[in-house]
Amino acid sequence: MTAIEALQALRRVPQESCGALVRRRTDGTMAGALLAERGRVCWAVSADSPRRLTDVLVAESDALTIEQVNEVVAQCRRDGTPLGETLLSRGLVSLPVLHRALLHHTCEALERLLRDDAPWAWVEHARYGYDPLLTFSPVEVLAGIQAIANPARAASASARLRAAIGPCRRGLVIERTRGGRVPLAHIGCDELDLTTLSDLAIQSDEVAALGATVGVEVAVAELGDRGELACASWAERDELFVLLCDGELAFNRLLAHAAAMTTNP
Amino acid sequence: MTLVELAERVPDCILAAWVDARTGATLERHARRDDAEIDRMLDVVIEIVRSPERPAHTVLLAPRQVFIARRAAGDRHRVIVVVCERSPNLGLAVALVRSAAEAARGAGRAALEEEGAA
Repeated sequence: MTAIEALQALRRVPQESCGALVRRRTDGTMAGALLAERGRVCWAVSADSPRRLTDVLVAESDALTIEQVNEVVAQCRRDGTPLGETLLSRGLVSLPVLHRALLHHTCEALERLLRDDAPWAWVEHARYGYDPLLTFSPVEVLAGIQAIANPARAASASARLRAAIGPCRRGLVIERTRGGRVPLAHIGCDELDLTTLSDLAIQSDEVAALGATVGVEVAVAELGDRGELACASWAERDELFVLLCDGELAFNRLLAHAAAMTTNP
Repeated sequence: MTLVELAERVPDCILAAWVDARTGATLERHARRDDAEIDRMLDVVIEIVRSPERPAHTVLLAPRQVFIARRAAGDRHRVIVVVCERSPNLGLAVALVRSAAEAARGAGRAALEEEGAA
C-alpha cells in the first residue's frame, strides 16, 4: 500500500539534519529523491513524475499562465534564484497557492517514486536551504499521498473532519491498516511530527478498542499539565478521528464539544 | 474528600474508586450498588488508565454513562475513577473529580509532613 510505504520512507529521514533520501537503481540510474530538512519534506522528484511543477502551479492558480511561469523559470535559471521565492516576490502567486502547488507536486512525485523498488539511501547535505514555510510535515505529505491514491475516501474523511472540528483548530483522520496508521485527512496539523502522530494514533486506537466494550463513543484526554492541550478521539470503522484543542480551558471546551457531539439521554 | 463524600456530590454517581495505575489493583472503592456490569466498567477504565504514559486526565463518553479518570496530583500512580450516569451535569462531575485528585495531593503532603515531624 502506497501510504504505508510512504510512512516507512519518511521514517528513514533523520530528524535533525538535512539531505536527500535517494532511490538509485542497480543500473546506476536515479529513480528519484526525497529532500528533507529537520524531519520536514522539502521536495520530491521522480523520473516518472506525471506533471512538472510549472503545470501544477498553473492548475492551482486562477491567474497564472504557462507563459508567465516559463519566463520566470528562464530568469531563475539565468540568475540561479529559487522559482518559488521569485514567483512570490513578483506577486505572481500567493503563499497559500505556492504552498499547495509544491505540496501537490511533491506528493505526486513521491507517489511515483514509491512504485520503484530501488533501495533507499540517505545522502547528507552540508547546509540547509529551504524556507520552512515551503516545507511539509509528514502528516501533510501522507495525507497528500492518500488524496492521490484514494481521492474519494480522502475527500469524505476531510468533509467529516470539517463537520466535527467545532471549536478546535486542529484535527486529523487516521486510517487503521494492518501495516500501520496513516493520516487520511487533516486540518491544521502542519507541525505534527511522526513521533507525535504515532503516539496519538496508538493511544487513540487502544482507548477506542477498550472503550468500545463498554459503549464508549468519544474519549477526551488532557495532554498538557495545566489543561492547555486536549485531545478527543473516536473510531469510525477503520478510521480514527482525533481533534486537538489548545489554549485556556482547552480540556473543558473540548469536553463540552464532545458531549454535544455524542448522543445525550 | 472521601470517596463516599465524592459519590454523594457527583450527580448520579454509580461508582468511585482509587486505583493503582501500575498494578491495576483497586485500592478503595465505593459503589452505589453491587453489579457485575459496574465491575466490568471499572475493569475497562483501569485497563485504559494503567500505563504511566496515559494522559493524566481522561473522560470517556458513552450514551448512558460517563467514565472519569484522573491521576492524583501528588502521586502519578494513583488514579481516581468515577463512573456516573450521563447527565447535563457532566461539567460539575469533572470539576469534583478534579478537586478530589487535587485534595489527594494535600493529603499526601500532610502525611509526609506528619512523618517528618515524627
